[in-house]
Amino acid sequence: MAGPVFATDPEAQVSAVELDGLSVLFHAPSGMTHIVAAPAPQILDALRIGPADAGELLARLRAWYDFESDDEVADAVDARLEELEAAGLVRRA
Amino acid sequence: MSGSDHNPAGEAIGAKAFVPSRRAVLVMGAAAASTVVTIRPALAQTAGSIINCEIPVPGPHAGGNFIAPDGNLVAPGTPGAAAPLSRPLRGEEVRSLLRSGSTPAGVDPQSAQAYANYIRRLQSGMSGFTCYASLQMPR
Repeated sequence: MAGPVFATDPEAQVSAVELDGLSVLFHAPSGMTHIVAAPAPQILDALRIGPADAGELLARLRAWYDFESDDEVADAVDARLEELEAAGLVRRA
Repeated sequence: MSGSDHNPAGEAIGAKAFVPSRRAVLVMGAAAASTVVTIRPALAQTAGSIINCEIPVPGPHAGGNFIAPDGNLVAPGTPGAAAPLSRPLRGEEVRSLLRSGSTPAGVDPQSAQAYANYIRRLQSGMSGFTCYASLQMPR
């Protein structure tokens, strides 16, 4: 039932600069730089509260934000987690 | 619960740059869309630069110092320590040295481990660090 639990690195390990709607993240542990769009920074913020699976993550985001459309939001969260994991910004806890 | 309820627009609970302003509309994007682009360091993209970059052993800051087997700098002439190399090592030589222990041409095999350990201890700002760091990058 419950999917994998994801975690991210503390804020101190990721330098962030917001640029014209996008954000540039320097991930110190890997030395890699990423350009991310919403909702990636918001997902990282939500995961900094503590590790969470996709359902818990979505609940945290719902506490902060409205969604443009509730259709396929769960699929989108899965897709965003997958790409953040591939980039090394999120890992399985 | 999360402490985010009193968070109109100013104080971030997480990253400074991303303030989850209450009740803003978050666009999650389509499942197929991508929101992350990773920039690989320019050095790691250029095989030529890895092969051609150089690491002085030791760096100019330690000119004349010998290198102990553990890689630390010691006074010239210290018994058991390796003399400074007369030429910088090229990136490709360092990669072979660190991965397989193969000794670069003209280098005393007995001292190669000391040089390897010196390179492993390089830190940001030291001569040769960028070259060393680029050798660590995944391709």
